[in-house]
Amino acid sequence: MVPIHIYDAASGENSQAAAASPCSAPPFAEKDYGNGDPDAPYNPPGARNTDSCLALKPTGEVVHDYATKGPAPGDVVFRWIHGSVCAAKNTDPRIQVVAYNEDTYILRENPCVNWEAPFTYLLFGNHGALLIDTGATPEASYYPLRVTVDAIVSRWCGIRRKKSVPLTIVLTSGENVAQNQGILQFTDRAQTSLSPLELGPRMKFHGLGTSWKQGLGRIDLGGRVVEVIPTPGTHKDGLTFYDSYTCHLFTGDLLYAGRVEIANDRDYVVSLERLRQWKQSHPVKWVMGGHVEMMFLPGRGYPRFSTNRPFEHVLQLKAETIDEAAEHARGIVGKPAVVFRTDFILLNRVSPDEKVYQSAPDLPQIPDPYWLSLQ
Amino acid sequence: MDLKSLVNLKSLDRRTFLSLPVVSVVLPAVAAAMAPEAEAMRVVPTAPVGANGPINFTAGVPAPGSFPARWICGSPSCMDNHDPPIQVHWYNEHTVFMRQNKAYSFEAPFLHLYFGNERILMIDQGYTQLRTDWPLRDVVDGCIAEWCAKHGRKVEDMELLLAFTHLHDDHYVGINQFYDRPNTRYMGQTHEEMIGFWGMTNYPEQRVTLDLGGRDVLVWGNPGHVFSEFAYYDTYTQILHTGDMFYRGRCYISFWDKWFTSLKRLMAFLEDHPVTWVVGCHVEISRTGQDYPYGITYQPDEAPMHMEVGVLKHAYEVAKTITKPGIYFTGSVFLCNETRNATTVDRIAYAYE
Repeated sequence: MVPIHIYDAASGENSQAAAASPCSAPPFAEKDYGNGDPDAPYNPPGARNTDSCLALKPTGEVVHDYATKGPAPGDVVFRWIHGSVCAAKNTDPRIQVVAYNEDTYILRENPCVNWEAPFTYLLFGNHGALLIDTGATPEASYYPLRVTVDAIVSRWCGIRRKKSVPLTIVLTSGENVAQNQGILQFTDRAQTSLSPLELGPRMKFHGLGTSWKQGLGRIDLGGRVVEVIPTPGTHKDGLTFYDSYTCHLFTGDLLYAGRVEIANDRDYVVSLERLRQWKQSHPVKWVMGGHVEMMFLPGRGYPRFSTNRPFEHVLQLKAETIDEAAEHARGIVGKPAVVFRTDFILLNRVSPDEKVYQSAPDLPQIPDPYWLSLQ
Repeated sequence: MDLKSLVNLKSLDRRTFLSLPVVSVVLPAVAAAMAPEAEAMRVVPTAPVGANGPINFTAGVPAPGSFPARWICGSPSCMDNHDPPIQVHWYNEHTVFMRQNKAYSFEAPFLHLYFGNERILMIDQGYTQLRTDWPLRDVVDGCIAEWCAKHGRKVEDMELLLAFTHLHDDHYVGINQFYDRPNTRYMGQTHEEMIGFWGMTNYPEQRVTLDLGGRDVLVWGNPGHVFSEFAYYDTYTQILHTGDMFYRGRCYISFWDKWFTSLKRLMAFLEDHPVTWVVGCHVEISRTGQDYPYGITYQPDEAPMHMEVGVLKHAYEVAKTITKPGIYFTGSVFLCNETRNATTVDRIAYAYE
């Protein structure tokens, strides 16, 4: 049951809430809000049901409690930057930063810097920050990832009254040039540990041995644990990261709203099956991939290298998408095929441009709004 | 039907031309245009002659000219591209080749301007609609003003003809920038309008001559990439323009029979016409023969746009052996024979066993 809190401005008290759940009650037993404990001492008198971790009268480092019942609050309520008719005249930011919540940031590279327009995720815990993927452009002048991450980190440190926080940079795939290029900007950064790019050292970095495909890694950010699930299939060294706080799966190229190029269909099926089991034992809010290439139309994708995608699918996929992908991937093992689904397209053993601009007959045939992308 | 406009041959546009047989008013020049192998549009009004008299476009052919060592070819980051929106290259003082910047459109088509004593022919108008996005109109007007100043003409005396190689949007969309331009004629945006514009009655075999005022451009049907497509041959520079039917890249052949027939027609043309260069509308291949996939915005090691005649002849030898759909590499160009949506020769980059 959700306790009803009524804030009385005159007295500055939340009387009903106080009567319904006295402070002595265990903090997480009966609360449904995810983030923060309204009874924790850093909340000022009268402030209740707030997600803010900001102390009104800070006395020192703020330690955030990442324990939640269900996924931590957060949402993506903005449109992503999606390029423009004339890429040369694009005036969007080079990196779009969206604060999913105070400890989770989503960064997108501008499609007019690189058409892959990859997503990069920055997560914070009490003792460390984690950057998942690094974008497709090494040049800081085109794609100032390091500067942007530094700015978010120092802002976050300011909020939490910390001097600094160590940063770990990991990759959903070490070989993927759409995600590993930005790492070069961080090689001389202090308090930073970089994931190696080669398969062997990378698996060792994550505490996975030679039989890494069956293993499970763990990154403790201090109260916030990110688990590392080996998921080869679209890359031979693919990893998926599960964040226990937001309950997102960061899948990179494995599953996203776009034209998924399967590199090895047997591994792909095994990996999706593993995520499926993971989903049964862990809450999964969304699957957050590395790109968006679908149109906001069932089964329709933008072609490769497109720098103008005014009608884009959203980034987040529901957890059930894993089931759908696993089911369809199993059917195409060993065969050249293109599978069109509402939210993604699977390409197996074909050219990356196979059936581009097309869709499947079992999906609603909605023509793309051509006028939106007119040159 | 405006009969006055019929009498005034200068305003013989496609609409009046198309309706001519209906009203059975046949003017001599029109009759000539409708006859097979006739010379269409050889209409000679009072020629606007410059201070130095008319330019002689028939002496000393082929007129020498040069291509740039390197065309603009995109950049690693599109929004950091500082090249001009259109690269303008004067092949010689009466011929301009232009290229659209890849950061404005990945198709990066080539556009041609041929100057004659009375008219200017522009072939293709590029892939960006708005003048505010991509200043094609300003650049073309600038070229015309520059040429007129140099050769003692008045801009208003020179008629601009806007023609296409074929009706794909990367070749005609920019025409929107010209609709308010005075003294400008358009080829039309249907097949019927286009053949009507050239006065063709026997497409694609019929070859017509466009007289730009002392400078003849031959035009004939060149289908294969699409049904409605034209080849252009400039008698002054002796450059053969094959459009998207044949260029250094992936020639998407939609209709093999039509394409091969067009190629044979080109071979026959080469028999009795000297050709300095064969040029196409795009470049999609590197100097080393690497394919730049469809849509890419950076081609750092691009092959030259112009081709020796031998490249075309060799492609004909290769084409003779092709019997099935598929992608064939001649060593210089890819012949994508009825491959429909397999728009690339790429494979999945990270595939492993």
